[in-house]
Formats: sequence, C-alpha cells, structure tokens
Amino acid sequence: MSRTLNRRNFFAVTGLGLGTAALAACGGPSTAGTAVTSAGTDWSKVTPAAKITFMSSHPGKSADIEAALIKDFESANPGIKVDLVTGGANYEEVAQKFQTAQAGNNVPDVVVASDVWWFRYAIADTVVPMDDLLKAVGDKTAGFNATLFGDYNYTDKHWAVPYARSTPLFYYNKDHFKAAGLPDRAPTTWDEFATWAPKIQAANASKPGYQHAYQYPALAGYAGWTLQNVLWGQGGGWSKEWDLTANSAPSVKAMTWVQDTIVKDGWAGVSSKDAVSDMTAGAISATVSSTGDLVGTLKAAQTANMNIGVGFLPGGSVSASPVCPTGGAGLVIAAKTSPERQLAAATFVSFMTNAANTAKFSAATGYMPVRTDADMSAVLATTPQIQVALDQLKVTRSQDYGRVFLPGADLEMANAAAKIMNEKADVATTLGALQDKLDGIYNKTVKPKLKS
Amino acid sequence: MVVTHSAARGTGSLPAPPPKKHHSARVRREAWVFLALALPNLLLIAFFTYRPLLVNMYYSTLDWTLGSTDATVVGLGNYLEFFTSGDAGSVLGTTAVFTLATVGGSMILGLAVAVALNQKIPGRTVARSAVFAPYVLSGVGVGMVWLFIFDPVYGVLSWVLRGVGLASPQWINDPNLSLLMVIIVYVWKNLGYCAIVYLAGLQSMPQDVLEAAALDGAGPIRRFFLVVFPLLSPTTFFLLITSLLSSLQAFDIIKIMTPTGNGTGTLIFEAYLQAFGAYNRAGYSAAISVVLFVLLLVMTGLQLRFVERKVHYA
Repeated sequence: MSRTLNRRNFFAVTGLGLGTAALAACGGPSTAGTAVTSAGTDWSKVTPAAKITFMSSHPGKSADIEAALIKDFESANPGIKVDLVTGGANYEEVAQKFQTAQAGNNVPDVVVASDVWWFRYAIADTVVPMDDLLKAVGDKTAGFNATLFGDYNYTDKHWAVPYARSTPLFYYNKDHFKAAGLPDRAPTTWDEFATWAPKIQAANASKPGYQHAYQYPALAGYAGWTLQNVLWGQGGGWSKEWDLTANSAPSVKAMTWVQDTIVKDGWAGVSSKDAVSDMTAGAISATVSSTGDLVGTLKAAQTANMNIGVGFLPGGSVSASPVCPTGGAGLVIAAKTSPERQLAAATFVSFMTNAANTAKFSAATGYMPVRTDADMSAVLATTPQIQVALDQLKVTRSQDYGRVFLPGADLEMANAAAKIMNEKADVATTLGALQDKLDGIYNKTVKPKLKS
Repeated sequence: MVVTHSAARGTGSLPAPPPKKHHSARVRREAWVFLALALPNLLLIAFFTYRPLLVNMYYSTLDWTLGSTDATVVGLGNYLEFFTSGDAGSVLGTTAVFTLATVGGSMILGLAVAVALNQKIPGRTVARSAVFAPYVLSGVGVGMVWLFIFDPVYGVLSWVLRGVGLASPQWINDPNLSLLMVIIVYVWKNLGYCAIVYLAGLQSMPQDVLEAAALDGAGPIRRFFLVVFPLLSPTTFFLLITSLLSSLQAFDIIKIMTPTGNGTGTLIFEAYLQAFGAYNRAGYSAAISVVLFVLLLVMTGLQLRFVERKVHYA
C-alpha cells in the first residue's frame, strides 16, 4: 500500500517527530539523585589548564584593577591565560549567569560570589571546597583574616575565599555636622545620634534640596545586611544560627525604632536608589554604606567640594559591640569543570587574594584587605579613611544565617522593611509574616539539602 | 458476488462514488517544494519555540533549584502551591492592573495622538517621528532615564516640584506609586506604536462615508464616535491583541526601575524572581510561566471568538 504526502499528513508526521524529539531532548536536572563531585582527586597528578575564565561583576568599580592583576598573573604564570568575563552589574546578575550556565557545559571557572550566594552553590554542589585545592597550589590559608575566611566554613570545609570583602561604614557630612555644632566624629550609639539628628536637621534645612539628617540605604540594595546593625544593637536579629528570630521582641523593638525615626521623628528617610549619591548631592547628612563605596564616595565628595567623614557603625541600647556585619564577596571555583581547570583556577584565586594583590585591590576600591599580612601603608598614605574600616574589621560579626543562607531571604527582608519604613505598616504583624516566609523557605529549600 | 459497474449504476438510488484522486507528478513536485521551503523554518520554530515550551512544562513538574544537578518530581505540586499560597492573588491582581492600565492608556492616548497627527498641521512629519521614537528605544535605556526623572532626591521631576514648593512623592519606595510609575513609562513608550497604527487606519478610511455623514449634519464628535471609531474597529482589534500580549510579557522596564518587584510583581516578573532573582526555584518559576502561557492563550482565544464579532470591516 502506498500513501501520498498531503498537507495534513505532513504536519501530523512533522509535529509528532518534533514533539518526540523535543521531549527526548529535555535535558535539565537529573531526577535520579546524581551530583557532580571532584572529591578524591589527587591534585599532585593534575596539570593546570592553559586557559580559564573568571566571571566578575567588578565590585567597587574594579574592572581596571582586575584586568591589571590578571595581566600580572599571566606574567607570573605564563602557562595559564585568564579570560575576564563581565557577568553583570551586581552579584545577583553574576549568580544568574553562573547558575544558568550549569545547564550547559561551558561554566566559568572562577566566579565572584557574594555572602548570600556561596552557600547556595555549596549545597547545590556547583562549586568545590577550596581547602585541598589551595593546599595543592601552596597557599598557606593561615594568612587570611580568620573572620572573613571563616565565613565560608561549612561542613568543616571552606567553599570560597574572601576577595572583595566589605563591612558597612557610617558616612557623614562633616560640614553639616559642624553647622549643627556637633563633634567631627560618628555617633557611638544610635541613641546619641537621635539626640544629634534634630540639630543637624535644623541647621541644614534651609540648604537647597536638603531632606534628612540620616538616610537609610536603598532597600533594594541589601536592606537585610545594613539593618542587622540596628537589630543587633537592640538585642535582636534575623536569626540565631538556624533559629529564626525576625519577629522576636527585640527585633520588633528595633524595627519600631527604625519606623519612628522616619514617621514619628521625621529626621530619617529611605534612599530610592543610592544613599551615598544622595549624600554627595547634599540632600542628607549621614548614611550607612559599604566600605566598597569608600574610594568612589571620597572622589565624588572631592568633586562636589564636600567633606565626608567615616566612622564605626553606631551601637544600640543593648549591645554596643560587635554590631557590624561582615559582607561583600568571595571567589568560588566551579565544580562542573575538569580537575585541570580547577587547579589552574586555584592558582589564580590564590594569586588574586595574596597579600600584595589584596592591598592593591583594596587601594583601588576600598574593600578590606583579606590577608592579615597585607602591607597597607601605601594605601593608607593616599586614603587614610581606610584605617577606620580596618579598625572596625576587628569588631565585626558574621551575618545571621537567616539572611545569608536562605534563598530569597534578602528580598523578603527588603519587602518587609519597605512595608515598615515606607508604608507605615504594623511592625509586629509585618515581622510575623516575614518570619513565616523565612520559616517556609528554610523548611522547603534549605533544611532538606543541608549536608551532615 | 461481483457487482458490475453497470449494475451499480442501474440502481439509480446510490450516489456516484467520488472520483479517485490522481496525484500527478506536478502535485508531488509541488509538495516536495513546499517541504523544502517550509521544513527548515518549521524545524527552527519547533526547536526554539515549541521545544522550550514543552521543556518548561516538564520543569514545572519538578522541585528543582536552579543550578542544581538533581531535582524531585512533584507533579502538579508547584501549581497547587502557587494557587494556594496567597501569591496568586497579589500577582494576578498586579498583572491585571498593569495590563489594563497600559493597554487602555496606550490605546486611548495613541488614538488621540493619531487624530491630532492626522490634521494638516505644520511639522507633522517631525511630530510623527517624535511620537514613534520611544517605541523603538531600548527598554533598559528608557527605564534608566525615567528612573532619573522620578528620583525624589536629584530627579528632574523632584526639582520641578521643589520649584513650586512641593515635595516629591516616593515613586520608587512606595509600592502603589511604583506601579503607577512603571505604568506611566510603559504607556509613554508604547503609545507611539498605537498612534502610528491608528494613523494608518485613519488615513485609509473611505472619505465618501465621512463626507456623507457631514452632509447629513453630523458634527465632528458624532462623526468620530458613530463613523470613524466603528470603522477603526479592525485596527482597534489588532492593537488590542498585540498590546495585550506585549503588556503581559513586559519585563525590561519593571526590572530596571523596581528591581525587587515591590508593588510591581506581575506574572512574568514573579517567574523571573522565583528562578533567577532570588529564590532559585526553577520548577516553581516554570509553573508560573505555564500559568502565564495559558492566560495568554485563553485571552487571545476569547478575543478571537467574541471581540472579532464586533469588528466592522469596511
């Protein structure tokens, strides 16, 4: 029997064939519980690859210094070329690219991973532990700042190394403080600043475009990070290890105080985009921002003929110290590559974070030097304000698990903060809803995947 | 039994059998030409459109963390969670407000601008180009510029308001205002497209009908609502479908202007946030994408089924 081709037959056969092919080629994750691992590799028998890729968001406008350090690396290691790839404008965009790259076979070898991303990579097995690799390339990790390196410790392994690490700093307009008759320093506690704020507001209100004595950082820019300072100062926090405490009495008290500074007292506002830009525009007198903004802010202030001072984050009524969270980004090495590439990546990571290069990176950006033996004398000669950040580094505290280890927690915290700070929502109810959200995230997406 | 041809014909009650199809060499040749021309395109469409669609439907049945190499099959669990968690209400509500406002705003203002540009006024060619220009601009660029305009500290709008003694609203921080802000920007960007399509409709309108209406004593307003607007119904129908599909898929400006989606969490933005923005829940995000797909399909079907009946073709 012979059948002839007509339009209907053609579409039927083609559709069936393509549909089958499409479903057959679904790809994606395995539902059989397999995972990529490089455990047990004898690194002494591995030869480093000739070329690797470094994906970065160039934190702190570091594209130039990263390119310069790569050039130095290639001179020191002529057998390894490094391809610098811009993965986006911020940590989140880099994370998107790294995670979507997992679906293919061309993942970047070294990736910038912020405080909220490395842990997700670790529990998803998309990155490898660093300890054996760093040992294989002769890196004495003892030189790392213990707190910063310790941040990446999970299951007794380090899953990243500190790179563009920062802490929040208190930035203030010296001229505005002087006009209010205040000392040229940051307040030691938020209670002290609450007594200063009305004076600052009154002394500067007539200046064109002036808005507030204090500006909370933009909520889209990691509100959960900077608000830890206020929460800790009042004895609260987002969590105590895996015990979520977002709606504990001290946390509610702290966020009520935050709401009062905006709604009741009226001396604080919330930045829409970038609080340090608000400051260099002369609209505000003080804010909290990352040390990674330090060099850029000082340059902008110089251009605007403005005197900017920096100081420790203020303490609270319950705890004066430590109330400053660590932050910023580290470097991770992808799991879905060959051991050769991973070894070359480890050589590169070790070079980028060695004592000399972390000092250069710090000078260019304002980020913290991540090695205790970094010689910062040249940096301090040109930017003495970095000394404040270095001193504060000694009294920092690792962040709450609830913020950094729960996927989406930062966004939920930002949205809850927006309700409290912008919509005057009831603090206890809002934090209760946040607690429920965080609890759901923990139980559904983290707890089942925790490694023993 | 053998039925002869003459016997069958002789009954008189049976219909004549259909003539047997003869596929000539010409027809077969044409079929192969059709195949040669259509198949590459169909393959491309199948691979780049239908394959991702099918794969996405498969992913929507998984509990899968983006980037993870393994996943668990949960069947319809993701859909169930979306519709029972309370997310669906706020997300679908925001999507409805955003879509109605942007489609309605673009079409109404686009029609008004088209009527204005259809008049014989000096500089109308330049005005037409200026009106259409925002439509071809990059959404990211448009979002950045408007973000600067709306910024309450150093934005242009804030400066203007301060000049008349008013404080700037918190366009970016207030979720209600942030939705209004992105609606304004989308309407501004898209009304040029509606205006140009409506203008084409106005210019192809039969003048004798308009003249007859004028002779019958209908004034400009009556002529517009009773003659012009009904005759523009094919254009309105076309714009309704294309604008609706475009609005439901709007993403770039929302992402640039409100990165956390606070107040602007439409379906497509929620799908983005769940997979890539924060939560890494690729399976859940895929389920939201399927909901959006079904919504688009149903709305387009309803429009074709019911709205087209109201269309008057000249």
